Amino acid sequence: MRPSPKVVAALVTLPLALAACGGGGTSNTPAAPSSIASASADHRPVKNGGTLNIALNADPDALDPSISTTLVGREVFANMCEKLYDIDASSTLIPQLAAAMPELSDGGRAVTIKLREGVKFNDGTALDAEAVKKSLDRHRTWEKSARQADLAAVSKVEVVDPATVKLTLTQPFTPLTAQLADRAGMIMSPKALDSEGDNFGAAPVCAGPFKFAGRTSGSQIVLEKSADYYDAAKVKLDKLVYKIIVDPNVRAANLKSGDVQVADQLATNTVAGVQSDPNLTVVSGGGLGYYGFQINIGNASGSTEKPGPIDTPLGKSPELREAFELALDRDAINKAVYNGLHEVDCYPVPLDSPYRPKDLTCPKRDLAKAKQLVQASGVPTPIPVTLATPNDAVNQRLAQVIQSMTKEAGFNVSVQTAEFVSVLEQGKAGKFDVLLSGWSGRVDPDGNLTNLVTTQGSNNYAGMSDPGIDDPIKQAAAETDTAKRAELYGSAMKKAAELRGVVYLYHNLYYLGMHKTVAGVQYFKDGLPRYVTAGFAA
Amino acid sequence: MLWFILRRCGSAVLVLFLSSVLIFLGIRALPGDPASVMAGQEASPAAIEAIRKEFGLDKPLPAQYLDYVGQTLTGNFGRSTQDQLPVADILAERLPVTLELSLLAMLVAIVVGVGAGIVAAVRRGKFADYVATGFGLAGLSVPHFWLGLLGILLFAVTWRVLPASGYVPFTEDPAGNLQRMILPALVLGTGFAAILMRQTRSAMLGALSADYVRTARSKGLSEAKVVGAHALRNSLTTVVTVLGLQLGALISGAVVTEQIFVIPGFGKLTVDAVLTRNYPVIQAVVLVTVIGYVLVNLLVDIAYAFLNPRIRLSGGSRD
Amino acid sequence: MPMAGLVLVVAFVLLALIGPLVTGDPAAQDYLATLAPPSGAHPMGTDDLGRDAFARIAHGAQVSLQAGVLSTLLAMVVGIPIGLVAGFYRRWLDPIVMRLVDVTLAFPFLVFAVGLAAIIGPSLKGVVLALGFSQLPAIIRITRGEVLAVREMDYVAAAIADGAGDGHIIFRYVLPNCASPLIVQATVAIPAAIIGESTLSFLGLGVQPPTPSWGVMLTTAQQYLSDAPWLAIWPGLMIALATLGFNLLGDGLRDVLDPRSHR
Repeated sequence: MRPSPKVVAALVTLPLALAACGGGGTSNTPAAPSSIASASADHRPVKNGGTLNIALNADPDALDPSISTTLVGREVFANMCEKLYDIDASSTLIPQLAAAMPELSDGGRAVTIKLREGVKFNDGTALDAEAVKKSLDRHRTWEKSARQADLAAVSKVEVVDPATVKLTLTQPFTPLTAQLADRAGMIMSPKALDSEGDNFGAAPVCAGPFKFAGRTSGSQIVLEKSADYYDAAKVKLDKLVYKIIVDPNVRAANLKSGDVQVADQLATNTVAGVQSDPNLTVVSGGGLGYYGFQINIGNASGSTEKPGPIDTPLGKSPELREAFELALDRDAINKAVYNGLHEVDCYPVPLDSPYRPKDLTCPKRDLAKAKQLVQASGVPTPIPVTLATPNDAVNQRLAQVIQSMTKEAGFNVSVQTAEFVSVLEQGKAGKFDVLLSGWSGRVDPDGNLTNLVTTQGSNNYAGMSDPGIDDPIKQAAAETDTAKRAELYGSAMKKAAELRGVVYLYHNLYYLGMHKTVAGVQYFKDGLPRYVTAGFAA
Repeated sequence: MLWFILRRCGSAVLVLFLSSVLIFLGIRALPGDPASVMAGQEASPAAIEAIRKEFGLDKPLPAQYLDYVGQTLTGNFGRSTQDQLPVADILAERLPVTLELSLLAMLVAIVVGVGAGIVAAVRRGKFADYVATGFGLAGLSVPHFWLGLLGILLFAVTWRVLPASGYVPFTEDPAGNLQRMILPALVLGTGFAAILMRQTRSAMLGALSADYVRTARSKGLSEAKVVGAHALRNSLTTVVTVLGLQLGALISGAVVTEQIFVIPGFGKLTVDAVLTRNYPVIQAVVLVTVIGYVLVNLLVDIAYAFLNPRIRLSGGSRD
Repeated sequence: MPMAGLVLVVAFVLLALIGPLVTGDPAAQDYLATLAPPSGAHPMGTDDLGRDAFARIAHGAQVSLQAGVLSTLLAMVVGIPIGLVAGFYRRWLDPIVMRLVDVTLAFPFLVFAVGLAAIIGPSLKGVVLALGFSQLPAIIRITRGEVLAVREMDYVAAAIADGAGDGHIIFRYVLPNCASPLIVQATVAIPAAIIGESTLSFLGLGVQPPTPSWGVMLTTAQQYLSDAPWLAIWPGLMIALATLGFNLLGDGLRDVLDPRSHR
């Protein structure tokens, strides 16, 4: 196999990142075993036809690009709903339904997008500027849309000619192209929108290599090859069948037994077993997102409300929060909980992001200093802390390791498990001390920061509010120069790291298990397997 | 007899009404704002408000209850908040799966449980009795989710003779369907087999020592005929009662079994719906379960009255 | 056989009471010895975080015992008075209570438990409440049945005719008669609750980590079924033995206390 540019990039940046991170003094285990290739684009010849059975790790929500909020939903969209823009193997933005990158004018306040010509929706109707306007307006103005924040900067969408749309912005907003490379840039068939209305998600029609063919609730989603796709000659498979298999061990077992040929998001404790099977292979993707925990420091009455004081030892004292973080050994956590398969870090942007300043460092475990800070705080030990945790096995394992590590520094963590949705609720409402939470990640750093760490951001469960965070992030969104943006994001992230509303632990890598007979799957940093060129090896 | 059936129907309706109120209030007691949970992680306050309106959650409780009853009576269960599919369609997909699992489990329970019960009673105090009684006790004592794990460990992981889990519709692949259902049905059926075995044995022992059986014996009827025609027939009431009473347990058992073997049935739907706060689905699922339970018990009562006329005369129920 | 049951029950109670004192810390993690097979140092092996499975079994016994006994006590404390009142004031209270009992029976226990866990959060408290509630119908029915039977007895009917107060009748005649069927019921309810607790904990609705419960241990074991099968053996075996003990004991007690049943 030729090393793809992505693999080379990963190999170059990884040691640097680990050195920067300190590694907690235990060892220099690479984030992923070297035998697992990261982002793949394999070029073996592929035969025509066949059904690919794919195991999904969760049940997607409504397949409506305007309201979908799940990562698994994006996995399905990636093969059914193309967007104005996309990312390639090196996370660079490229045109997809657009014919070229957007042209900026009026100091960045006007964005002109030329569309690819001759594109048809999967129901045979034409994808033109009118259709784009209808979809973008639905994304940004429909009251139930979850895309409103993504497109908040857009004040008007105009049809210039059938192949050109013009977006007017209230202020320059560089992350817009990245937003249009995600669900906010998915274009839906106006015909289907007219007939299905709010229930579009039950029978979605977009433009893409595969079209929606049916869904059995909680069990499977079927896509079929689209005859109307503009690049139909590239598409080899007849059918994709997504089977929802939540239990990671069962997912792995079904892959081994051949009931599915691809399994997404293998649990880290099943990766080795899949890898050792002679018929199977594992590729890694992802890394844009992060996982860690939030500490409630100002979320008194809801994350989108005005922040207020929090009367808990950790909420009141930055020193105790520092002690809490210093008690943790990120490398040991990665090993104990994730078999060492994630990328340890303490910042929200990916290790190889061009927006990441080179001078970011992570604290090592320092138990002596942690104990000293606890003692200096004068709070009687053990200091009680509750840790809200989703009730799946892996999160509980993480919670118990945090519990045991911080105990040594004088904290008494009680783990409180609840279903995932309840934990999110608690987070939004501010009803927690410490809460495990993560983010699936976006290509533009703005997507990993604005809603998550700025004042009254909807996912800023910690209730952080600091001009040292808010201002540079706002400035960076209007800035087009990469180096300047990196500097601004760097200063915001350093401030956030001092405040410790979010303590980042690692970037989650996704492991895709596949049968060796399956070729042509594209698996990038966003962790969404693309099957447009996939098929069974000839 | 008609009067008896009417009375039982009346009380069934009452139970249904009380249950519907309980379901309605219970769901509203679940923590978390349903609208905000349905809207998801990235939703804006306006989106949450829109959903609240759409589902009528902004109306006063009595109005919401009337909406709920009205919709249910017209068979309109709404759409699942998870995937926007009509709840009625989802029920139609999931119910047959659980029915198949339950019927297979019942079959296991009846064949094994009643058979062993009869053998144990007839061979009382002999070796076969000890084996059957021992099996009955073990079946009662072993948690069936553990049995499921052991089953997967042995048959799927170690010997690799059966698939570990999953489900294929019978109509698509009958052999594959049965292959995947054997283990779950055995696991789910074991506990009921044990209960049935114990009840059958004790009912048979009672019957075998009763006067009419002694009379039959003294008339020189063959032992097979005595057991088959007289004792067993009178033990049937027990079996029917136990089946009715155990239906709730069977549904609970199906929840766990479906969870372990990843079968997309009713039980798994129920748990998933509660965990994701899928209100339209929870309401429909619990209501259908309760209706099923009430109906089966009604049938059991009527069957019971046929099998044992004294019940009918005294007008009593099984209380 | 009842003796064997008694031995098992006593062993289970001793394990729950004394076990935690002699074994190590069930939450002590050792990342260098994860998923170790049984050995001298760890007679039952270690789990995914290197915790001693034996220590967790011993502490788990405590959780099981608590869940079994407390939920049964709860059901009795609430159910006996309801059953007494229903049976005693047959005309107007009884139909209402019995319909409510029907409603309770019509609710699948697990659905109820899942909902309850969602409302009050997963915890031992929630488990005890859910299990106690699920045992209520049986207790109410038994108590009510005894009241009805006792009231028909000649000497009780005579006492009522003599103008004895309700309280006198209840405490003098009814309660003593309820004792043996309720004791027998307890030997059915406790093992059912032990299985119930482990089932709820298995589904993630029971006790919270790091508190070990046999059900929680089985959840962990499920993930490592092929790598560490022994983890799945011990907790299940313990549940089965404890339950078997109560069942054997119950069968024996039934023979002695409840002559109407033919076993």
